[in-house]
Amino acid sequence: MSLVTIGIADLKVSNNPEDTLVTYSLGSCIGLAVYDPVAKVGGLLHYMLPDSSINQEKAAKNPAMFANKGIPLLFKQCYKLGADKKRMIIKVAGGSQIMDAAGTFNIGKRNYAILRKMFWKNNVMIDGEDIGGNCNRTMYMQLDDGKINLKISKKGMVEL
Amino acid sequence: MNLMEEIIAAVDEMPPFPQVVHRAMQVIAIPEYEVSNLVEILKVDQAVTANILKLCNSAYFGLPRKVSSLKEAVVYLGSDQLKQLLLSGAASKIYEKPSEGYAVFADELWRHALATAVMSQVLRRHLRLKIDENMVFTAALLHDVGKVVLSSFVSDRYIAIESMVESGDYSFQEAEKDVLGFDHAEIGGKIAESWDFPPSIVAAITFHHEPARSPKEFRLLTELVALANNLAVMVGYGTGVDGLACRGHGLLLQKLKLEEKDVEELILLFQMEMEKTCDIAGVSER
Repeated sequence: MSLVTIGIADLKVSNNPEDTLVTYSLGSCIGLAVYDPVAKVGGLLHYMLPDSSINQEKAAKNPAMFANKGIPLLFKQCYKLGADKKRMIIKVAGGSQIMDAAGTFNIGKRNYAILRKMFWKNNVMIDGEDIGGNCNRTMYMQLDDGKINLKISKKGMVEL
Repeated sequence: MNLMEEIIAAVDEMPPFPQVVHRAMQVIAIPEYEVSNLVEILKVDQAVTANILKLCNSAYFGLPRKVSSLKEAVVYLGSDQLKQLLLSGAASKIYEKPSEGYAVFADELWRHALATAVMSQVLRRHLRLKIDENMVFTAALLHDVGKVVLSSFVSDRYIAIESMVESGDYSFQEAEKDVLGFDHAEIGGKIAESWDFPPSIVAAITFHHEPARSPKEFRLLTELVALANNLAVMVGYGTGVDGLACRGHGLLLQKLKLEEKDVEELILLFQMEMEKTCDIAGVSER
């Protein structure tokens, strides 16, 4: 088994059943895991910000930083390895907030809102999610069966 | 001894902040300082000398030939790089002490400290805050140093802190204060004091969770560190056991009338800078 790490503002796909994809420390960022159980192709994205319009130049260099660029790219890369949209299982985690009644630090919410909007437009259903709160999450995907495990601060390991 | 006395004793036993770094920072602060004076101070410390040469010869700078003289390396790197290297070199050693209590991963405190320092630099620069760069960097880098000491004392009281945080009504620092009678910020301030840091840095560390309590003359620095800490935690750099259970201090953002897009752009600039810093410092972003 090999552990493949997805950094902050990063995405990776794999069709090696030996791999486990992992992304650490999801705070306000979102981890999006997609998996085709027939082709046994999966991918994991860790994006930081909702919309690349704030800096097109950076978006071109690092699309995985933004939801609007990273999400389509994650799907496309999985298709390249033989995944089919109809079979994809979609799981989402992250989008946490710090304790802030004033709503100044609500990037987590915006990160999640844009994902919902994009999925709704493209007829994509979310099969499981663990969103919000003020915990941080580490997300694991096993490539052999697509199982998603979350390590949540204060809670420990749970399957999503 | 009661708990506070025990912790004060542990603070006294902490290794001193490296004198060579203190002295070098004083020289660098002099406008048009003599490079040879600086080299005289630095060369006493072999580890510091080795680090400077290592950084200068790293792939990041891609120099065509190997630099082996300390003086040449100091000139090449320039004051800004050198200051950051010296401070972060000293801080990384302090944070990398194994701390079983507070960190999920061994290097988590250090990663968070570095991210907060980078975030504070980005905020200072882009918000055009008139405040000394070194002071900001140092205060941000050391703001959680109290956790290094505290984490070896919390052991059995940790469950009580954790369950208060789980209730959702308390931040981690508030729970600490309730259970222990004091918090890591306060202890951090005491450590900085024992290291002879100026009152501004002591205040910023002591009040980084309660910037409104910081003395007026140090308020801006404290608010900046508090905000940098908030944003670093929020984006997921170095969240330990406390997760995101810290209170937001967005006063500075409101004062400067920053909007959502501005904050997003600051985070973007931070991430670009952080990738570079991790690259130079040889820290994995993970």
